[in-house]
Amino acid sequence: MSVPDYMQCAEDHQTVLVVVQPVGIVPEDQFFRIYKRIASVAQVSIRDSQRNLYIRYRHHYLPENNEWGDFQTHRKVVGLISVTTCGSAKEWPQTLDRFHGQKEVFGATLYDSRLLVFGLQGEIAEQQRTDVAFYSSYDDCPNVEKRVEDFVESIFIVLESKRLDRATDKSGDKIPLLCVPFEKKDFVGLDTDSRHYKKRCQGRMRKHVGDLCLQAGMLQDALVHYHMAVELLRSVNDFLWLGAALEGLCSASVIFHYPGGTAGGAAGRKPSLAQGQGQAADAGKRHRPGAQEVLIDPGALTANGISADTSSEIGRAKNCLGPEDIIEKYKEAISYYGKYKNAGVIELEACVKAVRVLAIQKRAMEASEFLQNAVYINLGQLSEEEKIQRYSILSELYHLIGFHRKSAFFKRVAAMQCVAPTIPEPGWRACYKLLLETLPGYSLSLDPKDFSKGTHRGWAAVQMRLLHELVYASRRMGNPGLSVRHLSFLLQTMLDFLSDQEKKEVTQSLENYTSKCPGGMEVLTLPDGLKLPPVAFTKLPIIRSVKLLDLPVSLRPHKQKGLLENNMSTKSPFIYSPIIMHTRGEERNKNIEFQWVQGEVCEVQLMVYNPMPFELRVEHMGLLTSGVEFEALPAALFLPAESGLYPVTLVGVPRTAGNITVTGYHTSVFGVTSDCLLEGLPSVITSGCMVEVIPSLPRLQLSTSLPRSAHPLQPSKEELSSSVSVQLFNGETQHLTITLENIGSEDLETLEVASKTCNTKEKLFGEFLSWDLEEAVSQLPLKPGQSVTLTVNIKVRLDFSGGENLLQDLNDDGISVTGLPISSPLRQVLKPRAETKPLGSESSKTDYNHVKLSSDTTFISQFLKLHVANNKIKNAITTIYITTPDKTHYTYRIYTGARISFLIPVCCPPTRHCKYEAVHSISRLVKLLKNRVEDDVQAAQRLSADEVVLTV
Amino acid sequence: MEHTQSRDACWHSRHHSKMAVCIAVIAKENYPLYIRSVPVQNELKFHYTVHTSLDVVEEKISAVGKAMADQRELYLGLLYPTEDYKVYGYVTNSKVKFVIVVDSSNTSLRDNEIRSMFRKLHNSFTDVMCNPFYNPGDTIQSKAFDSMVSAMMVQAS
Repeated sequence: MSVPDYMQCAEDHQTVLVVVQPVGIVPEDQFFRIYKRIASVAQVSIRDSQRNLYIRYRHHYLPENNEWGDFQTHRKVVGLISVTTCGSAKEWPQTLDRFHGQKEVFGATLYDSRLLVFGLQGEIAEQQRTDVAFYSSYDDCPNVEKRVEDFVESIFIVLESKRLDRATDKSGDKIPLLCVPFEKKDFVGLDTDSRHYKKRCQGRMRKHVGDLCLQAGMLQDALVHYHMAVELLRSVNDFLWLGAALEGLCSASVIFHYPGGTAGGAAGRKPSLAQGQGQAADAGKRHRPGAQEVLIDPGALTANGISADTSSEIGRAKNCLGPEDIIEKYKEAISYYGKYKNAGVIELEACVKAVRVLAIQKRAMEASEFLQNAVYINLGQLSEEEKIQRYSILSELYHLIGFHRKSAFFKRVAAMQCVAPTIPEPGWRACYKLLLETLPGYSLSLDPKDFSKGTHRGWAAVQMRLLHELVYASRRMGNPGLSVRHLSFLLQTMLDFLSDQEKKEVTQSLENYTSKCPGGMEVLTLPDGLKLPPVAFTKLPIIRSVKLLDLPVSLRPHKQKGLLENNMSTKSPFIYSPIIMHTRGEERNKNIEFQWVQGEVCEVQLMVYNPMPFELRVEHMGLLTSGVEFEALPAALFLPAESGLYPVTLVGVPRTAGNITVTGYHTSVFGVTSDCLLEGLPSVITSGCMVEVIPSLPRLQLSTSLPRSAHPLQPSKEELSSSVSVQLFNGETQHLTITLENIGSEDLETLEVASKTCNTKEKLFGEFLSWDLEEAVSQLPLKPGQSVTLTVNIKVRLDFSGGENLLQDLNDDGISVTGLPISSPLRQVLKPRAETKPLGSESSKTDYNHVKLSSDTTFISQFLKLHVANNKIKNAITTIYITTPDKTHYTYRIYTGARISFLIPVCCPPTRHCKYEAVHSISRLVKLLKNRVEDDVQAAQRLSADEVVLTV
Repeated sequence: MEHTQSRDACWHSRHHSKMAVCIAVIAKENYPLYIRSVPVQNELKFHYTVHTSLDVVEEKISAVGKAMADQRELYLGLLYPTEDYKVYGYVTNSKVKFVIVVDSSNTSLRDNEIRSMFRKLHNSFTDVMCNPFYNPGDTIQSKAFDSMVSAMMVQAS
């Protein structure tokens, strides 16, 4: 006997074995349909007695196992049901021959047999035969079950007669020696008349009768016979049979104690590879009608519990072993079996049965010892399939006793066995399926959400191995999508445990796989219904913070002043409380002060970090939002190896107004696209992800005719500004043309202009600026793309009579007239365009003051006198620029007042320190200036007077 | 002379046999806080060994029952023998488990020696826990603990 039946359990000892086999050509599905119907008759209560007969059906049974039928009668095939298709009467004799042939295979042990013929009609079918039943088709056979019941009853009659036959054997008769196949040659030539031999025969026969009693439903008789057998066999050291007798005792006791059976329901009895479907069906049907046959008869109790006259023992529970004893006896039996190499299968099966009993008793530790023993039982050369079966059953049994890790371990070994290199056609599918079943044992779930809470705590090394195996198996199965999913999962969840080298390898193979089958965010569903949730690479790159950015100043929305009052009323009526209850979660959802505008490019800044030891290429990185319609504009990043924090700005355009929440971001790394949601990333710091998007607003672009100021005034936070600068003489007038262009998509409706002077005392300056708004306003509303021009007149009218204070104030800056804030309730875009600014008017003005110095510097005095005479520089500021040939610039400024003048060196050779020099008459001033200029000019190296340019 | 040499060798082998091949510290929630084994090329095998031994540890703990939890002995004894190794277990009162794997061939190993190894391990682990910078539940990265474990392990020759 070489093939163990791992499904066996203790109560199988009371069953009779019936083999159901097809004869000739029977379609497999039809056969199994009939088989299932036959197998449904697993228990038959016998008429006129309170006994039940239990039947175990097999569609496949090795004849060599049948040879062990004397050893344990439940291994004996006592019934045969053949199923055949017979189309015509012509085939009938042949079919019948085949049936008889099949009967001969189990011939020696069969009590009875039946042939079910399908498809045959006519004369032959009408004859009445007890051993053959005719049905017209597989679909039309209503009384199969009834037939089988009759058949079982006939088996019972034979069984009962055999039992009585054996049980009433008188000790004087010659008892034949029962033996197992491998013993036969050992007894050749033995003295059959010795006491020892006789006892051996008796003991074995007792044991056999015990088996028959158990099968025939006479539990108490069986117990008694077993006890007697144990005594007899122990005295002659017939260990193999002693083991069997002990096991019989155990089985009977188990049946008594655990009427529900030890198979553990359908869960514990999955159909194994070899045994087929019939098992599952009958396991569910297995039902014990309680210990109904136990009728206590105290009068029959004897001291040793063993009596030759078994009739008085009926109904006694005394002989039954207690739960503790059952295990002890199993241990003993197994130790006896262990003495025989050829009884390995028996030993293994006994171990399995004992484990099932212990599982019911919830004694996991002892069960594990039995299993440990079972692992080491050597059954000789096992085929690969048998190995797989053995490992899976070990796994199942470990699972049964609650050793989930051990169970997972063996399941994994079984999985590896499926694809062992010695197998010509590796079963990758089976391997993959088994590997998936090991996941709970390694406390590994394939949902990345379970890994998002802080650092992963688990058996990383072991789990990683398992994931690698899943990847490999799924690839060999020809399902690259699964490989990608598993590999992504590995990379995402085990990143902290991968070495640099492994990171490289994993990403490389991931890229290989994704080149064929890109990874996505869809849930993968396996054929058996297991769902593989998507894996988002939240660690590639790692995001540290998310910050929504305000729009640039020029695009920020501003509240119209007129509406401000209304706004006040919306404030909360509640009294301010300093106690702010806030949690992180609320913070995340809190509103942001600023607003975004529909149709404008809005930005979100992420601080990212690349944990990989190589450059990370992130493609299609974009924002995920909820709320309003949002058009994300994806970006591509290249993050250097193990970069520090790296700012990345993701942009997008809200297309509708409302509230927008940035829920996460989208990436594509190594060919795997992932949607990373912020709610799953507790480590990300954010200052709020929800912002209001207001309807789109008009945009105004402002350009001026004057050049842009080199030193723009500091704009206040809320104001937009654009600075232009112009230098004018007192009394001079200039026009400033301001062009306002609507570059947005909305109409522009109102326009207001105001002016303000700053930095100076108002009384001195008065109004410089004047404009006429009417013309511009008449063009409103301004349609998109249209522009309006506004002319501002700048007229400088300064009163220098104020004296020194004014000049002091003016110092070297001249007058700054700034501001020109165009106050509009709408937003303004001030984009002075450098290339369009007209310089003409100014340059022409200065032209005539541009004088080249002759070699005689007296020109300066003449020039100044001329100006003074013309009152040109009276009450004015004159700036004199001198450019020497080596391109050095000197600047002097002259303030000419009514009574006093100043000469201020603004930019001079270093010898001159910026010092005011006051003079009281023009002639003095001119002289001073002349000297000064001459000195300075001479100080310049290799001066050629022709080249000195004097500019006023 | 010869006599002393053989005694030396004998002492050496006894000393050697006292050593473990794998030492692991398992958190209350059954994930490893620390695991170290001698032959580095076969590290994974020891991971499997220790991992499966947890089934037995859990069973042993639950078998004792709650009532007995107070006077429960910390030392669990031999968890299970494998072909090449013997696996011993120890559970602290806070349900942190220590597992020591020794070579089965070291038959001279006595139970007392295993017990003393566990005691040492427990003391050293307590020191680790006392470190204010150690977060309970994190993997152990203590040099002192490391060196103590190394001292208990068979030196890779």
